Amino acid sequence: MAKRMVCRVADVPENSLKECEAEGGLKLVVANAGGEFIGFQAVCPHQDVPLCEGLFDGQTLTCHMHLWQWDVRSGAPLGIAEAPLQRYPLAREGDALYLGGESTALDVGELFNGLNSSTLEKLATLAKRESHPSGALLYRPGDPAEDFFVLDAGRIEFLVGRGDRAAPGGFMLRKGEVFGWAALLEGTPARIASARCLEDSSVLRINGRAALGVLEGDPAAGFTVMRRLAALIARYLASSGAR
Amino acid sequence: MRIQVNARNRGYDFDALPGERVLYAGLRAGIDLPYECATGTCGTCKAKLVSGRVRDRWPGAPGRKYVKPQAGEFLMCQGEAEEALTLEVSSFVYPLEPGACVPQSCSGTMRNVRALTHDVTAFALDLERPRDFDAGQFVLLAPEGIDGYRAYSMCNYARGGRSLDFVVKRKAGGAFSEWLFGANRDGARLDAFGPLGKATFEPGLGKNLLCIAGGSGLAGMMSILARAEAANYFERHQGWVFFGVRTMRDAFFLDELSNFKNNNLDITVALSEEDVPRTNEWPKLRFEQGLVHEVAKRAMAGRYQNVRAYVAGPPPAVDAAIRVLLLDAKLTTDNIRYDKFS
Repeated sequence: MAKRMVCRVADVPENSLKECEAEGGLKLVVANAGGEFIGFQAVCPHQDVPLCEGLFDGQTLTCHMHLWQWDVRSGAPLGIAEAPLQRYPLAREGDALYLGGESTALDVGELFNGLNSSTLEKLATLAKRESHPSGALLYRPGDPAEDFFVLDAGRIEFLVGRGDRAAPGGFMLRKGEVFGWAALLEGTPARIASARCLEDSSVLRINGRAALGVLEGDPAAGFTVMRRLAALIARYLASSGAR
Repeated sequence: MRIQVNARNRGYDFDALPGERVLYAGLRAGIDLPYECATGTCGTCKAKLVSGRVRDRWPGAPGRKYVKPQAGEFLMCQGEAEEALTLEVSSFVYPLEPGACVPQSCSGTMRNVRALTHDVTAFALDLERPRDFDAGQFVLLAPEGIDGYRAYSMCNYARGGRSLDFVVKRKAGGAFSEWLFGANRDGARLDAFGPLGKATFEPGLGKNLLCIAGGSGLAGMMSILARAEAANYFERHQGWVFFGVRTMRDAFFLDELSNFKNNNLDITVALSEEDVPRTNEWPKLRFEQGLVHEVAKRAMAGRYQNVRAYVAGPPPAVDAAIRVLLLDAKLTTDNIRYDKFS
């Protein structure tokens, strides 16, 4: 693919933000974090507010609307933010910035982003990319929870319980979100919900036991992943007072 | 009317009364649906209709600029169910925490209506039944039988209180304020819904308090100060109050603020459009010239350790104060609580 120019380096002074449109039409915000240029999604993952209007101190970006915050270097959510920033790698050539390769669902994933690259590569070799049409069922209650999934594109809905007693159990819509994580727990848990595609969707399917094997070989990464998994599970158990 | 909300983390079911807005029905059922102003301005309570029909009770709501009607989006604070509904809310939604004051509809009688300044009026609302609320919360008010709530913070604090105190600033074209200022309303009946709002204070907080208020945004701060004083909070913690008004003619509650003053609580009135008065009738208060966020920024430099900030007032004043608190004070977002009423 042809190089897609985003902006001139001089357009984004140090510790400032600028909304840009890359050649070919992708809107993104470019941040200059102490001389390092970082590209990320143009609107807040919360409520479609332009992030170029946010507050930026050279490291932390705050959306002015509801005070969601991120570390722009990692895209990691801070404080009350519920979702990471989707980032677009930038390459600098001379006085211009270009879009680099796109990050994969694993790279941006809430469990895996920022892990060392050799561990990420091993996990990537375990990942099978699957495409499912709208309406497809990925699993149902009682199925053994052997694999977990990382959403790449589309939308997945969960129903907890069986048959006409099933109740909505939430949904996933962001690239990098992880579901079916029971596969990362001890024993051989069974699914408690069904997972159905609400749109044509693509996911990475990863065997839980094999992934745990990779993480055992890199305990630092394994610790990070388990900490994030604990936070993810706690988010489903939390009450509003936790805010 | 049955309403099902599918949030990011789980689903909820609740019933709405005929004519009741979806947001209020959900909150009344103890579900902490997303909202900020609850009155059609901020867009925070946006939801997406999956099935059923919704009647939009205020198609001209300013918050409509945040929704895409062609995608089925609407504001829950203005939408009323015409039949059973299934909705989607794209954030995490939790039950209200145990012990929270669950909002309800109620009504009451206006008493002690009195002018505080040329354009600010105070009154008490006597309730039929005692209600609990947290210091810093607000309720929605409308004259009985008239559609369309406005949000007002309580100025007082009392657990199980039967009387809520309010201040209202006159606003041209504002339905409630035109009604209030249009005649003597002593004895008038109001419908109310609440309590609402997360800019609340509990003495267990254990942090120094910074309150920045513009105009009638002082209301919620008075409640917080009342709560803090009742718990002798300022024996153990520092407090700073910055109250911004244009001129001395716009200032109110200066006697009440003077009564709160103690060794650990500093209170400053910021005058944006006139000089500091030459003779100070309120020696316990400090007067400074400038916009309230700038006055606060000057006075607070180097004093932000272990601080929880509360901010309320007109949206530009709140935004300016939040900018100071994030970029200069480096407070974390969970220590910045705000109400933006326009």
